[in-house]
Amino acid sequence: MQPPGMAPGLHLWGRQSVSPTRSRERRTPVRGRRALRSATTLALLAMAATACDAEQWKRIGYPDPASEQGDRMLSLWQGAWIAAIIIGVIVWGLIIWAVLFHRKRKGEEGLPAQVRYNLPVEILYTAVPFVIIGVLFFYTARDEAQVEKITKKPDVTVDVIGYQWSWQFDYLGDTYKKADGSPISIVGTPTSPDAPGGTAQGQKPVLVIPVDKTIRFNLKSDNVIHSFWVPAFIYKKDVVPGYVNKFELRPTKVGTYEGRCAEFCGLDHSRMLFQVKVVTQAEFDDFVAQQKSGGAQ
Amino acid sequence: MTAISERPALTPAEQPHTSKGRLIVNWMTSTDHKVIGYMYLITSFVFFLIGGVMALVIRTELYKPGMQVVTNEQFNQLFTMHGTIMLLMFATPLFAGFANVIMPLQIGSPDVAFPRMNMLAFWFFLFGSLVVLAAFLTPDGAASFGWFAYTPLSDATRTPGFGGDLWVIGLSLSGLGTILGSVNFITTILCMRAPGMTMFRMSIFSWNVLLTSILVLLAFPVLAAAMLALFADRKFGAHVFDSAHGGAILWQHLFWFFGHPEVYIIALPFFGIVTEILPVFSRKPVFGYIGLVGATIAIAGLSITVWAHHMFVTGQVLLPFFSFMTFLIAVPTGVKFFNWIGTMWRGHLSFESPMLFSVGFLVTFLFGGLTGVMLASPPMDFQLSDSYFVVAHFHYVIFGTVVFAMFAGFYFWWPKFTGKMLNDTLGKIHFWILFIGFHTTFLVQHWLGAAGMPRRYADYASEFTGLNELSTLGSFLLGVSMLPFFYNLYITWKKGKKVNVDDPWGYGGSLEWATSCPPPRHNFNSIPRIRSERPAFDLHHAAEAQRAAEKFSVQTVSTKKLEG
Repeated sequence: MQPPGMAPGLHLWGRQSVSPTRSRERRTPVRGRRALRSATTLALLAMAATACDAEQWKRIGYPDPASEQGDRMLSLWQGAWIAAIIIGVIVWGLIIWAVLFHRKRKGEEGLPAQVRYNLPVEILYTAVPFVIIGVLFFYTARDEAQVEKITKKPDVTVDVIGYQWSWQFDYLGDTYKKADGSPISIVGTPTSPDAPGGTAQGQKPVLVIPVDKTIRFNLKSDNVIHSFWVPAFIYKKDVVPGYVNKFELRPTKVGTYEGRCAEFCGLDHSRMLFQVKVVTQAEFDDFVAQQKSGGAQ
Repeated sequence: MTAISERPALTPAEQPHTSKGRLIVNWMTSTDHKVIGYMYLITSFVFFLIGGVMALVIRTELYKPGMQVVTNEQFNQLFTMHGTIMLLMFATPLFAGFANVIMPLQIGSPDVAFPRMNMLAFWFFLFGSLVVLAAFLTPDGAASFGWFAYTPLSDATRTPGFGGDLWVIGLSLSGLGTILGSVNFITTILCMRAPGMTMFRMSIFSWNVLLTSILVLLAFPVLAAAMLALFADRKFGAHVFDSAHGGAILWQHLFWFFGHPEVYIIALPFFGIVTEILPVFSRKPVFGYIGLVGATIAIAGLSITVWAHHMFVTGQVLLPFFSFMTFLIAVPTGVKFFNWIGTMWRGHLSFESPMLFSVGFLVTFLFGGLTGVMLASPPMDFQLSDSYFVVAHFHYVIFGTVVFAMFAGFYFWWPKFTGKMLNDTLGKIHFWILFIGFHTTFLVQHWLGAAGMPRRYADYASEFTGLNELSTLGSFLLGVSMLPFFYNLYITWKKGKKVNVDDPWGYGGSLEWATSCPPPRHNFNSIPRIRSERPAFDLHHAAEAQRAAEKFSVQTVSTKKLEG
């Protein structure tokens, strides 16, 4: 059941990478998207096409991580799937074995052995799961501590403010103050899912951050709950009114990444979109200078 | 109590023929646990169909990017009501339905402990649910804040419509019905078991009804309190869930303290149904009965310690604690799986429709369990929470359990309910269309979510189109699978084979198979001696059971000798 089911998904991650809104370096070339209209052909083609996309197979659905933390969480995800598949194969195997080989045969009379208990087996299948979850918990606790770590002096700190239904990004600190003393601030409006990034009405607000630097996000809302999710960072955190949530990450790959509100927040929830643009330090400095002089992005 | 068994039999067949009006009055005024159970089953199945149609509209909208069928607001109302209906108007009362019909039969009781309160509970559920649904008739439509109604989105400022008020007050009423029903079940099980029916001879289904009812008493009052406080916020300007002093997180704690046990409230009874079916079609007793009861108790206990795993991404909960407690649930759940496999192991399996649906449950639910362990790990939950991965996960768990086990239970107990067998071939067609449709709909959603598609999105980026198309096509197939079932109901009603024996399946173990199909008004004309957890099997297979028991004990003795 598993591998054929996985195949269509895997191919579509390929499609994701050719999305016009996710321009990035090292991209696979556009492969006959128009031809893939019908879902059936799509599934079949997918199975054939995935053979050459080993990288995507290995990520089991996750986007290519664009941050240090993301790489770590991808490894955990891969490990968890390996464990799950092993357990799944054993348990499904036992079920299917019984279904195939312990059927009532024609003309079979009488009852099978009326076995009610088998203590050694029962102890075994109660004890072994403890070991499995122990191992999983070890890695969970280790990675969670790493991912949630907050440093004393992040390189860039951004206030992320969620409202119905878009985002505002304020850069904190003197470096990012304009002449009038107000911080550099990106303010968005609700957009359609395939809209480009930009400052105009109907374009996704773009958060620009430098690569290989520690970025702190302070998540704030004065209205309803939102959730700040950049799938390529393999991370989301809720933006909860009454609380300020903080997290940090270190982008590792230059590129533009989609961001979406993930906590249902009312009418235009699915239009509360943004982009994160990871740039080199030089480009980031240009961006800051431009913003300070009041010019459009 | 014993006087009942000496009464002359009065089966429905012997009652004088009555008009349709008379029949309706009889049903509406009935305090017979079986009739109330049938009313629960029918009503909740109707809600299942309504919720299912909503799901199909949602999937149709999601077939392509852009908005084609409904507006954003209608979409939000649809998924809010889909969730509300399926959880609280379908799955929960369906538990009450099966429990009402089957549990008193299984424990050898003539009725439930509080027949009139039982009836009251049903009407509370029905009117509460109708109040919630009536919101579609108001100018602003139904509630549209998601079925977990997170504050402040669900407050009077953000969602001012009348639909939200009806949702809150309707669910409070139907929740009260659920609480009263559970009080009744617990009392019945503790006080009205037949002579000889000790707790550890009770069927697993009845055990699960007991534990489910205890969970209801732990969870639903918290929901009721939260609902009434939300109502006070909405209507009287109270500030219980004001986000200025942490109300946003307070609501989540209260809601999930109800919400997580609720998952087990709708899972345990259906685990119970499957546990009743597997032994009958394996011609073996349940494997590891006491361990299985222990596992169920453990699941019930752990289920009230894990609520905050729904809140990992809020940044306001102790991640390692809730993560570890959630992992722990995998242990008793795993034990159950091995009990089920052990029951089938080296049996004489046959695959009539109830068994087919039960195996379908095992295969489906296992995958939901595996993805559940991933979600229990915060570093993975950070990516997967509120994405389609979660949608896929809980449909594997809930649909896999409730719907597969419901149909298994329908096919299994239909002769007990009506005295007629459902058609087995149609049942098999029904199963395979349902099975394929379900997996086509939901398997791909795991990858949609992992790749970045959030749940509750009316519109999505074009990169997700292909898998959404496939999922929608699967959902139509899933919808189509209801047709052979309806036809089966019709053809059985018209031409179904009458059942003249107590146990048409031949190997039933629990006590409901030791009375007629359908049972008389007070369930039993005589009750067999109860000497094991399989009284009906002992009754019908006295010689064979004896022989098998001897053979088994000889085996055990010889193994012991070898070990010694």
